[in-house]
Amino acid sequence: MSDKQDLNYTRVEPPPVSARKRSSRAAPAWWVVFTSELNQLWMGGKAPILLFIFCALQGVLTYLMVSNTSDPTPPKEMLYVTLENAIAFGLLIGLIIGADSISGERERLTLESLLLTPTSRRQIVAGKFLAGFSPWPAALAVTLPLLIVVAQGDEALGPAMLWSTIMGTLMASSFTALGMVISSWSNSNKTSLLVSLVMYVVFYIPTQLPSGGQAGRYGRFLKRINPMESNGHFLEKVLVNNRGLAEFWPWLASPVILAVIVYVLLFIYPAPELNLDVQEMGMFRWFGKRDKDMS
Amino acid sequence: MFENRNSKAPRTEDEVLVAKDLRKSYGQREALKGLSFSLKAGRILGFLGPNGAGKTTAIRILTTILEPDAGHFVVNGITSDNPVELRRKIGVLPESLGFHKQMTGLECLIFFGRLYGRSAAQAKAAGMALLEEVGLDQRSKSLIGTYSRGMRQRLGIARTLVNDPSVLFLDEPTLGLDPRGQKELLELIERIARERNVGVVLCSHDLPEVESVCDDVVIMNLGQIVASGPVAEVIGHGQSRKGGVMQKSGMRIQVSPDSVVQAQKALEMVPGIVQVTAGSEMGGWLRVEMRDSADGQQNQIKNKMLEALIRANISVLSFEAEGSRLQDVFLQLTEK
Repeated sequence: MSDKQDLNYTRVEPPPVSARKRSSRAAPAWWVVFTSELNQLWMGGKAPILLFIFCALQGVLTYLMVSNTSDPTPPKEMLYVTLENAIAFGLLIGLIIGADSISGERERLTLESLLLTPTSRRQIVAGKFLAGFSPWPAALAVTLPLLIVVAQGDEALGPAMLWSTIMGTLMASSFTALGMVISSWSNSNKTSLLVSLVMYVVFYIPTQLPSGGQAGRYGRFLKRINPMESNGHFLEKVLVNNRGLAEFWPWLASPVILAVIVYVLLFIYPAPELNLDVQEMGMFRWFGKRDKDMS
Repeated sequence: MFENRNSKAPRTEDEVLVAKDLRKSYGQREALKGLSFSLKAGRILGFLGPNGAGKTTAIRILTTILEPDAGHFVVNGITSDNPVELRRKIGVLPESLGFHKQMTGLECLIFFGRLYGRSAAQAKAAGMALLEEVGLDQRSKSLIGTYSRGMRQRLGIARTLVNDPSVLFLDEPTLGLDPRGQKELLELIERIARERNVGVVLCSHDLPEVESVCDDVVIMNLGQIVASGPVAEVIGHGQSRKGGVMQKSGMRIQVSPDSVVQAQKALEMVPGIVQVTAGSEMGGWLRVEMRDSADGQQNQIKNKMLEALIRANISVLSFEAEGSRLQDVFLQLTEK
């Protein structure tokens, strides 16, 4: 249809908006942002693509483990490996989506319109955070049946499902928030994604080292403070070695501390200061702004 | 002399925007050096200035994206200390406006309507009304990614009206549009200002556009206002003086490019003409310098010029006094 329509101006009175008497059925702003972001993530294709890759990888790994009849892996170990992979990939999805959430809007020139509304910055961030975290429940839903398959009736299935939900949710939400913190302070999406992936690699690579490489006081310390490593160590001991929660709960400290730190960083600090330009955000005001031609 | 309004006059009831002594620095460089102006409801204010004048900084402060270092402003009774409430009173069309391409035009307006406190049903009704107002009702369910540039600009204007604002800030709204699109958009802006009685701040580098549609104009240079007031007044002040020296009378005449030489000869024969020079720009422009004389005699000389061109069978495409355009005043005032 041609856009060269006859613009006969007709003023049609819209329903009035009063600051005091807003409709009682008006949804809170964070919900509006959340539903819109959810729609873009899932209808736009980004989340389904990532989830598809997740499903494919998990499916292949599970098949390889279960079909290996010549040297079968014990069910408890298969549970642990499946769970570890699910959490590792699940939090990577959250990190990638989080890393695009603010800097991507800056690059796509859609952030300014959002900041020009009376919506509080914190509500904007909250809505985006919840949407960014949404692929994890889907990934978990895909993982649980795989756990049933690899468990082969083992009693460790129950604890595996419980800890996959608890630790996976904690870690995935933390890494989503971490991605958003990085994104808040990045003017470019490339920078945000690069820094986020570097952070992921810094956390993930030590988990792949042989346990002998992390012996000694410093090795154990690094293992304790790395939330991915400490989470993996905890799950291994509880699921595979049948050790008790009471003995190994201190290993949950670093995932919890990471969660607290990133939530504070995201919601208490940069969220209220969210701006078009990173240099206008609070921290940079403290350290002094660069002389920048804004005219 | 040009008026650098300090806005010391008391605020009248129909002033929807009053800015007082706004200042902003980036390091050592002062981007704004005390900006003060006001805007009345239903009027369109052209906000002009060369690159680096401080326009974008000023607009970003007035739209609460940036905080000023000093000064304040008021929009319809809401002071700049209350940015959240202030955002309810303004509509902004940024120069670089992006849309989520996977949204339809209606979904976009519903989204923003809900952010301003409407329910989903109210936001949908308001969105449809706005799309009809800007001529996009037939494309309400099309993805924004399929919209042309002109349609996106009209959607942007609809988006600025979602909250029934008192003041609209439009930054280069006609940028990238074809001439018909520009004309239609300007007509739309004019109607919105009159029908809705909103004040419009229009930033543009297209001075003919500003001259045609704006009631008032503010010209900025190096962070401060160098002229402000009704467009005709600003042009009139610029015509009469430059540095206290009366300008020689001049006319700009446009003929078809292949008639320039012939026109030059014809005009040089007219009594009262001092000099005729062909313009350096393309398009058949000539500059004619007339002898200083009283207004009545000047008009006679102009008539004789036209007669000479008609006798020589030369088509006159344009005939205007030099310095009679906003562009001339702008260039004069912003000369470094």
